[in-house]
Amino acid sequence: MGLLSLGTPLSWDEAKPLADLIRERGIDQLLKIWEKAKNKERDILLWGDEIEYLVVSYDEDVKDALLSLRQAEILKDLAHDEELRKAGGCVPSLQEINPKAGQRVPTFHAEYGRFMLEATPGAPYGGTLKDLLTVEPDMRKRRVIAKQHMAKNETPITMTSFPRLGVPGIFTNPYYPPHGPIARSIFVPDEIINPHIRFPTLTANIRSRRGSKVCINMPVYYDEKTPRPFHDPTVLYDLSDYPEDDDVRKGAAKEGHVYMDAMGFGMGSCCLQITFQTKNIGEARTLYDQLCPLGPIMLALSAASPIFKGYLTDVDCRWNVISRAVDDRTDEERGLKPLKDNKYVIPKSRYDSVSTYISQDPAFRSEYNDVDVHQNLVLKQKLLDGGMDELLARHFAHLFIRDPLVIFSESVKNFNIGQNDNFENIQSTNWQHMRFKPPPSAEDAIGWRVEFRSMEVQLTDFENAAFSIFIVLLTRTILSYGLNFYIPISKVNENMETAHLRNSVLSERFYFRKQVFPPRHSNRSSKGTVSPNSGQSIPNTPKVLELGPVDEEYCLMTIDEIMNGQPIPDGFPGLISLIESYLNSVNVDVETRCELARYLDLIRKRSKGTWETAATWIRNFVRNHPKYEKNSQVNSQVNYDLIKAAETLGNGNGKGTELWKGLFEQR
Amino acid sequence: MTPVPSTAVFSTGNIITTGRTIATLEKSNQELINSLRQNLKEAPEPRRNQKIDSLSSPTAQAGIAPWVQQKNGYLYIPGPTEPAGLSEERSEYDITVKLFYLPGVPVSDRCNHTRAALDYVLEELHVTSIDLLIVSFPNISFDAEDLSLNKEPSDEEVDEWIQTYRTLESLHSSGKIMRIGLAEFGVPRLSKILPNTRIKPSVDQINVRDCCVVPKPLIHFAKEHKIELLTHNDCTNILPSSSLQHLFQEDSTPFANFGRIDPQWVIKYTAVIQDRGVVENKGYFANIKIELE
Repeated sequence: MGLLSLGTPLSWDEAKPLADLIRERGIDQLLKIWEKAKNKERDILLWGDEIEYLVVSYDEDVKDALLSLRQAEILKDLAHDEELRKAGGCVPSLQEINPKAGQRVPTFHAEYGRFMLEATPGAPYGGTLKDLLTVEPDMRKRRVIAKQHMAKNETPITMTSFPRLGVPGIFTNPYYPPHGPIARSIFVPDEIINPHIRFPTLTANIRSRRGSKVCINMPVYYDEKTPRPFHDPTVLYDLSDYPEDDDVRKGAAKEGHVYMDAMGFGMGSCCLQITFQTKNIGEARTLYDQLCPLGPIMLALSAASPIFKGYLTDVDCRWNVISRAVDDRTDEERGLKPLKDNKYVIPKSRYDSVSTYISQDPAFRSEYNDVDVHQNLVLKQKLLDGGMDELLARHFAHLFIRDPLVIFSESVKNFNIGQNDNFENIQSTNWQHMRFKPPPSAEDAIGWRVEFRSMEVQLTDFENAAFSIFIVLLTRTILSYGLNFYIPISKVNENMETAHLRNSVLSERFYFRKQVFPPRHSNRSSKGTVSPNSGQSIPNTPKVLELGPVDEEYCLMTIDEIMNGQPIPDGFPGLISLIESYLNSVNVDVETRCELARYLDLIRKRSKGTWETAATWIRNFVRNHPKYEKNSQVNSQVNYDLIKAAETLGNGNGKGTELWKGLFEQR
Repeated sequence: MTPVPSTAVFSTGNIITTGRTIATLEKSNQELINSLRQNLKEAPEPRRNQKIDSLSSPTAQAGIAPWVQQKNGYLYIPGPTEPAGLSEERSEYDITVKLFYLPGVPVSDRCNHTRAALDYVLEELHVTSIDLLIVSFPNISFDAEDLSLNKEPSDEEVDEWIQTYRTLESLHSSGKIMRIGLAEFGVPRLSKILPNTRIKPSVDQINVRDCCVVPKPLIHFAKEHKIELLTHNDCTNILPSSSLQHLFQEDSTPFANFGRIDPQWVIKYTAVIQDRGVVENKGYFANIKIELE
């Protein structure tokens, strides 16, 4: 969630007039970092994953699974664990972390939802293939340690969205009534928000800036007995505590959809994110661009969230829910009213797909940046004047059209150009599916990084490790072969929408590049050869590559084709065989190769449909449950069994059971 | 005209950066032959049909470097780009080289072949030493199931290996190679060769086709003798004469009018930036005896 500065936060009315100041200071800080780090070279590969957990609390008397709101107590307990403290500590927000050489103690962090925990490996993984084998055990360790510091009836599960978040009645332990003053939600209480002042402020200021509550409508999944037309029966139309209670009377809740109205529905979701350190700024820009088209593909392949607010929906992914849950754009900015008080019509939420590529690689063609990108032109000029190139300046000028949402009065008074707080204020509240991360100004040791953000968290550590490792291996393969995955960014955005569709992993096709190898360049063939077009000899000039139309560079492929390849000889070879070809070019010991084969096999089988996505598995679990009434509703009994099953699988148990078979056995 | 026996060394150049024209990813023998094919295809147009001797003569057209060069008494066919060496400090790299001794080549030639082959790699990468040299002997393959038979290698075979191994040890002593590796050695073969080595092999590279069926005895043996078991995906026959014949006949290459073809050795090299796991340079050299008309 970015930085957790302490201090006195400003309300939206107080913050608004300071927006330009914060942005300007942020750009000054960025320029300072960029100036200092743009020539930083030869940083090694370090990487890490972030896994988010839901903390579930069982009420065994009535067989219910609820969200525990004891995040703070659990973190405190983790910080007080003597053994973990001796080993270096594991809660950075509560204690000083003193990592001991050779030891890696996982670290735990608070997240937006008060029912969430985030855990990271503590120290990054190294760049060798052997290091990859430590990922799954590390994830396992995190889960075990987290569980040890919870109450007996609590457990951490890695499920992307809690099925019954926001249902009428009890879904948290302890219970709080909804409709508090911060979120003003019909469905969720303010008490689900992490009480650290940053989070309620963020929630309230998004709502205030927008001028209404956030509005999320996900299409309902019509089952046999789902009423048609479907009007979300949990929406309350006659409340009148806040001006925002008007939202639903003005038609916020759409027919045929499950309606949600609070940031918690999105930011209460759990994801799997991977961050890499790159050797220099150029490599970071390359990887940012090359992984960008993979974002939607990996979203579809990791799909794990078919249920929202107690209903089966017709989507498999969380992404758009979060996107809408933090959408702070005003009516004017969303193009609903003519511009009067605002500067721009902004086509996307702050949480959305990437809109602009940033690399200066020869493979990049300006045609790929085919989406209108609004930019803060004043700040862009400042970046250009500071020596930054057009593409990168464009990227940051695009992020900096957004307003700072949380401003602490202390940070306004104490501006230090040598820090990055103002920069991060904007940067870390732009939640795109890739994030380009400059080194933090304070720590020179850390290099340029790229974060891959689209994946949903998986039910088991095996899967989470497999997805993380797949992405790491893919980056090594991209860099070794100089692979080119560019397609127009508008197609990446379309893919992102496609990825949400139910069972998109098997039933949809995605835009993907056909020819991914770099063009063969031979300095010999340029010498004294006769150019076929001009008939003239052009000695010692590089052959100008003739580029065909961009539209012919890509086509629609299934995820099976993208991962496992198209028929030879001319088809796309498939990402897995590209990775295997990379592995065949480096020294890999027998044990590592066998383990990596297991992980690649998961990706292979997922893409083929041999194994189910968590989304399909969850959907089928619900639909086959004897207490499910075939009306799209996930009642507390079904939910209880589902959460128990997720726990069993997450703990690595249940091998050979029906549960396990769904996820990991041939259908 | 009577056939002239020549030895030609073909370089693929860096096949990582020169890109590929085919989408499929190949086994190493296809990778090698396809890279050579690509290289011959891109030969400067006017030369394609010329005789080798006129190509390599110093009177080749002014201003254009001869494509086929005379080098150390061989014909040398360079890769598509000038070897640029490594982009970072030498210490950043792990350079692994694998030398394939080919069937039918006298064992007595291996010493010279090894030194010559390694020198091509050193020159290509602009380095003075490599980290690991793995040697692959002809006609042996690792098959997990065969091992249950515990087939003992013949004394003759073992003698040949030891004779070759002496060359590796001397290259090690001279500092040109840091570690020695063997390929396709199961326990019986390892037990025979180990007592006869001064510099112990650090690596045994095996082709684990269907991964995870490495025999337990080999794992224990390797552990005990501090030998790292590495995997590879190379073919037993890295450069079959038949594929070469096909290749030379295609598109009237300068080698179209060949007589006998005898591949002598193949060497594969890979330079990996260790801390980043990035393969920066990978390529092959192949030494082929050709009777030319």
